[in-house]
Amino acid sequence: MSLLDAYPLQHYLLVSAALFALGIFTLVARKNAVAMLMGVELILNSANLNFVAFSRYTVGNFSGHLFAIFVILLAAAEAAVALGIVIGIFQNYGDVDADALDGLKG
Amino acid sequence: MNTARFASALPWVPLLPLLGFLVNGLLGRRLPRTASAAVACAGPLLSCLLSFLAFLQLDSPHAFIECRLGDWITVGDLSIPFALRVDRLSAIMLLVVTGVGSLIHIYSIEYMGHDRGFARYFAYLNLFLSAMLLLVMAENLVLLFVGWEGVGLCSYLLIGFWFEDVEKARAGKKAFLVNRIGDFGFLLGLFLLFRTCGTLDIPSILHWLRLHELEGGLALTITLLLFVGATGKSAQIPLYVWLPDAMAGPTPVSALIHAATMVTAGVYMVARLSPLFFQSQATLFVIAVVGALTAVVAAFYALTQNDIKKVLAYSTISQLGYMFLGLGASAYAGAVFHLFTHAFFKALLFLGAGAVIHALDDEQDLRKMGGLGKKLGLTFAAMAVGSLALSGIPPFAGFASKDLILWSVLEAGLTRNPAWLLLWVIGLVTAFMTAFYSMRLVGMAFFGEYRGPEETWKKADDPKLAMGLPLVALIGGSFAAGIFGWPHLLLGHEEFVHYLEPVVAPAPLQGHGEHHLAEWLNLLLSVGAGFGGIALGYRLYVQSPLLPAALLQRSAHLRQAYELSFHKLYVDELYDRYVVQPLHIGAEWAWEMCDTLWIDGTCEGIARQVMDVGASLRRTQTGVVSIYAVSMLVGGIVMLGWAVVLTL
Amino acid sequence: MSPTALALVQDLRLFLPEVILVLTTLLVIVLDVTPVRKSHRALLYLTFCGLLLSGIYLLRHYVDLRESGGRASSSNVLLFGNSIALDPFAVYFKGLFLLVGLLTGVLSIRYKKLNPAGEGEYCVLLLCSTLGLFLMVGSRTLLMAYLGLELVSIPSFVLAGFQRDSRLSNEAALKYTIYGAIASGIMLYGMSLLFGLAGSLDFAAIRHALEGQTELRASPLLLSVSMLMILAGFGYKIACVPFHMWCPDVYEGAPTPITAFLSVGPKAAGFGVILRFFYQSLSTHSGGGDWTPIVDQLQWPIVLSVLSVATMTVGNLAAVAQTSLKRLMAYSSIAHAGYLLMGVVVLSKDGIFAILFYLAVYVFMNFGAFLFVVFLHDLVGSEDIEGCRGLGWRAPFPCIAMAICLFSLTGLPPLGGFIGKFYLFLGVIGRELYWLAILGVLNSVVSLVYYARVVKAMFLENIPRGEAEPLPVPFFYSAAFAVLVAPILLLGVYWAPLVKLARYSSSIFGA
Repeated sequence: MSLLDAYPLQHYLLVSAALFALGIFTLVARKNAVAMLMGVELILNSANLNFVAFSRYTVGNFSGHLFAIFVILLAAAEAAVALGIVIGIFQNYGDVDADALDGLKG
Repeated sequence: MNTARFASALPWVPLLPLLGFLVNGLLGRRLPRTASAAVACAGPLLSCLLSFLAFLQLDSPHAFIECRLGDWITVGDLSIPFALRVDRLSAIMLLVVTGVGSLIHIYSIEYMGHDRGFARYFAYLNLFLSAMLLLVMAENLVLLFVGWEGVGLCSYLLIGFWFEDVEKARAGKKAFLVNRIGDFGFLLGLFLLFRTCGTLDIPSILHWLRLHELEGGLALTITLLLFVGATGKSAQIPLYVWLPDAMAGPTPVSALIHAATMVTAGVYMVARLSPLFFQSQATLFVIAVVGALTAVVAAFYALTQNDIKKVLAYSTISQLGYMFLGLGASAYAGAVFHLFTHAFFKALLFLGAGAVIHALDDEQDLRKMGGLGKKLGLTFAAMAVGSLALSGIPPFAGFASKDLILWSVLEAGLTRNPAWLLLWVIGLVTAFMTAFYSMRLVGMAFFGEYRGPEETWKKADDPKLAMGLPLVALIGGSFAAGIFGWPHLLLGHEEFVHYLEPVVAPAPLQGHGEHHLAEWLNLLLSVGAGFGGIALGYRLYVQSPLLPAALLQRSAHLRQAYELSFHKLYVDELYDRYVVQPLHIGAEWAWEMCDTLWIDGTCEGIARQVMDVGASLRRTQTGVVSIYAVSMLVGGIVMLGWAVVLTL
Repeated sequence: MSPTALALVQDLRLFLPEVILVLTTLLVIVLDVTPVRKSHRALLYLTFCGLLLSGIYLLRHYVDLRESGGRASSSNVLLFGNSIALDPFAVYFKGLFLLVGLLTGVLSIRYKKLNPAGEGEYCVLLLCSTLGLFLMVGSRTLLMAYLGLELVSIPSFVLAGFQRDSRLSNEAALKYTIYGAIASGIMLYGMSLLFGLAGSLDFAAIRHALEGQTELRASPLLLSVSMLMILAGFGYKIACVPFHMWCPDVYEGAPTPITAFLSVGPKAAGFGVILRFFYQSLSTHSGGGDWTPIVDQLQWPIVLSVLSVATMTVGNLAAVAQTSLKRLMAYSSIAHAGYLLMGVVVLSKDGIFAILFYLAVYVFMNFGAFLFVVFLHDLVGSEDIEGCRGLGWRAPFPCIAMAICLFSLTGLPPLGGFIGKFYLFLGVIGRELYWLAILGVLNSVVSLVYYARVVKAMFLENIPRGEAEPLPVPFFYSAAFAVLVAPILLLGVYWAPLVKLARYSSSIFGA
C-alpha cells in the first residue's frame, strides 16, 4: 500500500499523457514508416498505463489490467502485420519513407 | 360471402405467368425454343384452369373470393394491402383474359417461330398477361393502377418489339405518350376519390357510396377524370390515335393486347366502379356520346383502309365505342357482354389476319390480295365467321351483345331523354358501316382474283397445328358466345346479364315487355343494318370489283367522303398542327428562355462552382500519410476546442 | 465443472454462428497447407458454405428471439459475462455481414488480380474480418468493441495489400495500417479516460455511473474529450470527416472486392457500434423511443450532426471531380456515411430504424456498383469513367444494372435507395431538424451530378472508334447483376417486409 500513498493517481496520468503526446509527436514528425509505428506503440502504451492505473486506484477490480493485456496482445499482432506490409513496401520501393508514397491521391 | 376455400390459390393466377416471364426473361437465350414456348404457354393455361375453378366457386350472386397477402404500403393513414379479390365481374374478365390469352400464346409458337427474339417475345407476353390479371383481380385502385401501368408498359414494349425499325419504335413512343395523358387524368381522379372517401379499396368505396351521397360537382369531376383515363387505355375520342399505330407490333400481340384484353381495361374499370359512375348522370351521358362518336368515326375510317390490320384496328376502336355507349346507357352488363363476345371474334379476326399475313410473306395490303378463299380454307372460314360475328348477324356472337346495347340506348331514348334516340341512330349507322367494311375486307382478300406476286401465291398455305388450333377454338367461340346472353325476344334468357346484375350498378329500367314493339323494331333494324351492309359490300367488292372505282370517278361528293375517310378526317394532321407543333414551339421557346437564362445562368453557374470546389477539395487529398495524420489531428483539435466551448 | 465454466459452455451454444466462422477459418487454413491438389476457387466455395451454415444458425437465433417473448427487450441475451449481446439488433447486422461476406466472395470469383496461390489466406482473412464485424455489433463493453474493431482492422490491412507485387496495393495497405493504428490508439486513450471516469467497461454500467454522478464538476470536459477520442476510432471505421482521408486512397489501391467489403461491412459495423455506444452508455431513454444525452453539457448529437453535414458535403463535392470509378465510389461512400449519421443524431428509434433499413439497401447498391467495376476491369481493362464510354450499347444489361444502382444511391424513386433516404429524412424531420434535412437534400442533388456522369458516359457518349461491336457478357455477370439489382427494384415498390424486420430489430432502442 505504500506505493499507492507515495505516488498518487495524478502521477500516472501525467506520465501517460506525456507518452501520448510523444506518440503523436512521433507520428507527425517522423517520415519513416517504422518510426511511425513506434509512435503508435507509445500511444497504445499510454492508454495501457491509464487502464492499469485507473483499475488500481479508483475502480478496484482487474478489468483495466485485462484490457491492457488484450491491448498488448493486439499491438503485437498489429505490429506483425504492419511490419509485413512495410517489408512489402521496401521490396517494391526500396525505401520505407511513408511520405514518398503518393501514388494514390486526389 | 367470402368463399375462403379457394383463396390461397388466387395469387397463383397472376403469379404463374409472372414466373414464365422470369424464366424466359432471365434464361430465355439459353433455353431451346421448345422449352421456352412450353414455359410460356404453361403459365397462361394453368392460370386459365385456376380461373375456371374460381369461376365455379362463385355460385351465389354476391359471392367473392378474397386473398390478402399482407401490407404493401403503410404511410400514415393510408394503408394499402396487397389484396386480390374475385367476384363475378372479375371472374368473367379472368376467363376472357386467360382463355383468349392462352390461345394466342399457342398461336404465337408457330407465328413467331423464326423470330430472333422468340424468348423475349414470350417473356413480354407473359408479363403482359400477369399485369392484366393483376388489374382485373386488384381489390384496391392502387394495385389496379399498378396493373394498368404494367399493361401499358408491356404494350409499349411489344409495339416496339421490332425496335430496329424506327417507325415502329416511334409508334411505341406515341402509344406511351398518349397513354400518359390518360393516366394523368386517372391519377387525379384517384387522388380526388381518396380525399373524398378516405380509401382506395374498391369494396370500401362502393360501401361508402351506399351510405353517402356524392355532391354533384364532385361526382362529375371524379368520374370525368377517371373516364379520361379510360379513353386513353381504351382508345376513345380524343385519345384513340395511338391504337392504329400500335399495329406495328407482331399480329398476335395486336390480337391479345389491342383487341381482346388491354383495351378493355377502361371498360372494366367503369363497370367495376359503376355505382360511382351512376352517381353522375351527366358523366354517363358524356360517356355515351363519346362512345357513339368514336364508334361511328372509327367505322367511317375503316371503310377505306387498305391495310388489313388497320381495318381491324379501327373496327376495334369502333366496337369499344359501342361498349362505352352501353356503359353510358347504364347497361353495364350489356357492355361487359359485348366485351366478352368481342374478345372472341376480334381475336379470331386478328389471328386470321395474322394467318393471311403469314401465308403471304408479311403482306398486309388488301389491294395485293384476292382469291385467297381458294387456297386458305381454314383462314377463310375464320375470317368469314369473325366478320359475321362482328357484323351482328344472328346466331353469331356479336349479334346478341350489340342488340342488347342498342336496345338499352333506345330504351333510354324512349323513357329518359330523346337525345338518346340520336345516339341510337348513330349506333345503327355504325352497325351498317361495320357490316360493310367487314364484307369489303373479306371480299378484297378472299374473293376475286389474286393481285399479288406469283411466287407468294404458290407458297401460300393454311397454317399448321399450333396456329390452326386456336383459330378453330375461336371459330367455335364466335359461334357460341352469343348463346350466353341470347335475347329473350328470341326465346333466350339473357343469363349473362342476370349473372352480372348483382355486382354492377342496377340499370335504371328493367322494362321488358313495356316497349315490346320497340324492342322488335330495334332487333330487326340492327340485324337489317348488318345484312344491308353485307349486301352492299358483296355487290361492290365481290360481284363487281371495278364498281367502287367507277363510282368514285363519277361522283365528286363520294370522292370527298372517300378522301375524308381515307385520311381519317385529317385528325392526325390536325393533332400535329394544333397540339404537337405548338407544344414544340412552346418547348423551344421555354428552352431558349429558361435554358439559356436560368439553367445556363444559374444552375450551370452553381454546377461550375461545385466542380471548382470539388477540384480544390481533390487537391487537399495529397496522398501523403503524415499530412493525413496532421489533418486528422487538426480536425480532432478543432472538435475538442468546440467541445470545450460547449461545456463551458 | 464449475458454474462459471458451465455458463460459458451454455453461452457458447448461443455463439454458434461465430463458432462456425472460426471452425471454417481453421478448416480453410488446414486445407490450405495440406499438399492436396485443390481445384480453382475450391476454398472460396468452402468459405461460402461456412458463411451459409453460419447464416442458418443465425436464422435459428432470430426465430428463437422472436418466439421468446412479445417484447424484444425481454428477449435480449447477454453472453460471456455481459460482454456480448445477442439481440435482434445484433442479429440483423450479422445477417447483413454474412451477406457482405458472401457478396465479397462472389465478386472475387472472377477478379483476375487475385492470385490463386493466395486464395486460402484470402478466405481466412475475409472470414476473420467477418467474425470481427460480428463481435463489433454484439459488443456491450468497451473491451469487446475494441477487440471487434481490431479483429476487423488487422485482416483488412492485409487484404487491402493483398496484391503484393502491386505498388498501389502496398501503398494502400500501409496508409490503411498507419491511419488505422493511429485512430485505434486515440480511441484506446479515450476509452481509458472513460474507464477512469465511469469506473467500468460495460456500456450499461457506464450509463449508470454517469447518471449517478450528480455533481459531475470537472468531468464534462473530460467526458467530451474521451468521447471525441473514442469517436476517432469509430469515425475512422465509417470514414466520416475528419477521419476520412484514408478512404479514397485505400479504396483505390485495394483489390476491388475488398474495396466493396470495406465500403459496406466495417461501415455498417461502425454504425452498429456507434449506435450501441452512444445510445446505451451516453444517453437516457426518455420514453416513446426518444432519447436525450445523459449529461446536459455533453451535446454529442450536435457534434455528430455537424460532422454529418461536413462528411456528406466533402464526400459529394470531392466525388464530382473524380475520374476513377473506384475513387468516385469511395467519396460516394463517405457521403453515405454522412447521410447515415443523420439517423444517429436524431436520437429516436425512427432514426435507428432508418439506418438499419438504409444499410440493407446500401449493401445491394454498393456491391452492384463495385461488381460493375470488377466487370469493367475484367472485360474492358479499365477502372475509370472513361472506360465506360458507350458501353451501354455494347453491354446493355450490366450498364442498366449499374445505372439502377447509381440512381438508387442518388435516391431516385422507384428504387430502394429512395425509400431508404425517405425514411432517413422522415426521421430528421420528425425531430424538427429542418436545417439538417435541407442540407441533406441539397447534398443528394449534388450527388446526382457525379452518378449521372457515369450513366451519361455509358449511354449518351459516343463509342470510341472500332469498338462498337457488342461485348459478350459472361453468364456469371448477368446472374450476379440480376441478383443484386432485383432487391433494389423490389424494395422500391414493396418494402413492407424489410420495414417490419428493421423496426423489429431496432426495437431494443425503445418499442
